[in-house]
Amino acid sequence: MTDLDFRQGGQPVPGPTTTNLADILERVLDKGIVIAGDIKIDLLDIELLTIRLRLFVASVDTAKKAGIDWWENDPALSSRASRNALEDENRELRERLDALEAATETQAARDDESGKKEDGQT
Amino acid sequence: MTHSGPRAQAPDASATYVFAVGRDTRAMKTADLTGLAGMPGGERVRLLTCGTLTAVVQTVPAADFTDEVWQLRLSDRQEIERYARAHHEVVSAAAAIGPAVPLPLATLYHDDERARRVLDDEAARFHGALKRIAHHAEWGVKVYASHAPPERQDPAQNRPVSTGAGRREAPAAGAGLAYLNRKRGVHEGRERRREEAMNVAQSVDAELREIAAAARRLRTHDAAPGEQRVHTLNATYLIAADRTDELMRMTTALRERTGAQIEVSGPWVPYSFVGEV
Repeated sequence: MTDLDFRQGGQPVPGPTTTNLADILERVLDKGIVIAGDIKIDLLDIELLTIRLRLFVASVDTAKKAGIDWWENDPALSSRASRNALEDENRELRERLDALEAATETQAARDDESGKKEDGQT
Repeated sequence: MTHSGPRAQAPDASATYVFAVGRDTRAMKTADLTGLAGMPGGERVRLLTCGTLTAVVQTVPAADFTDEVWQLRLSDRQEIERYARAHHEVVSAAAAIGPAVPLPLATLYHDDERARRVLDDEAARFHGALKRIAHHAEWGVKVYASHAPPERQDPAQNRPVSTGAGRREAPAAGAGLAYLNRKRGVHEGRERRREEAMNVAQSVDAELREIAAAARRLRTHDAAPGEQRVHTLNATYLIAADRTDELMRMTTALRERTGAQIEVSGPWVPYSFVGEV
């Protein structure tokens, strides 16, 4: 993340290419020099946008590498996500149930097995 | 002067998107902007001379730059990233040619003539900002403190009620109180660490301000789930080009002295320092 550019003299140039999105948004959304455009586009301020997009993760790349893609599934962020949440919960429960059933069966089989070997002992 | 409102627009109408404004120097005039993509769907990025200033602009489809479209865009993480990065790329390229004042994301005019007129009207302010940022760059500095350790690792002395030989019997009378006391100890420890971390952040900021031409505090970012550190300072500094080494030395020294994680990003086009001071 500390992608430094020690070019001497001249103009300071491009920000680090690995710059994370939150850092960029903080700057490009800044009102900076106040100048009216012809076409009024209401940009949220960074705080609102951050809340909306949950952008505080280092960067998309880093986040993806770390397996964090929770913003795509945050119920607050999209209706699709809230639907997914239910489906996910449903799926997780099914998986757990399957796992439990499988474990019980295995255990039962093992008990059977050892029961035969150890002559009835459980 | 926002000529918004329902303007009957042909489906193929275009608008002039302004990225940044610099002085009308020879370097600017002959700048090579080929290879810059600019806004998705736009024509090639080009220069627009307005009196003593030169703007880096692009013709974009008007239909794609209405408030309505942007409100949707702002709710889509990938879309906003795409546009923000496109804007940032052109602004950075413009600043590589000479001092350039970035305009906020999505600053649009109906056509070149409108853009030229508005920029010309504001020429004095642009020149002021250009003067302020010449030979300076913006550097972001973030300070992080390590997260509080999980409570079970808290030292034993934080548990005021550790009776007798310290043997833990089955829940007896007073177990609830012990629990509460322990909770309080944890809470106090956390508060203390938080305060220390804030003090470190303060002193980093204070020291860096000494070498900065200007400074701004930005909002700290919340920790992402699972992130083991707390963001205590998000600041940005306008640093003269010849003090860059000093900045690096200072942050290195501060890292060693405070033990905090200090991240430096830059050089940035001075986005945060072109506004009225």
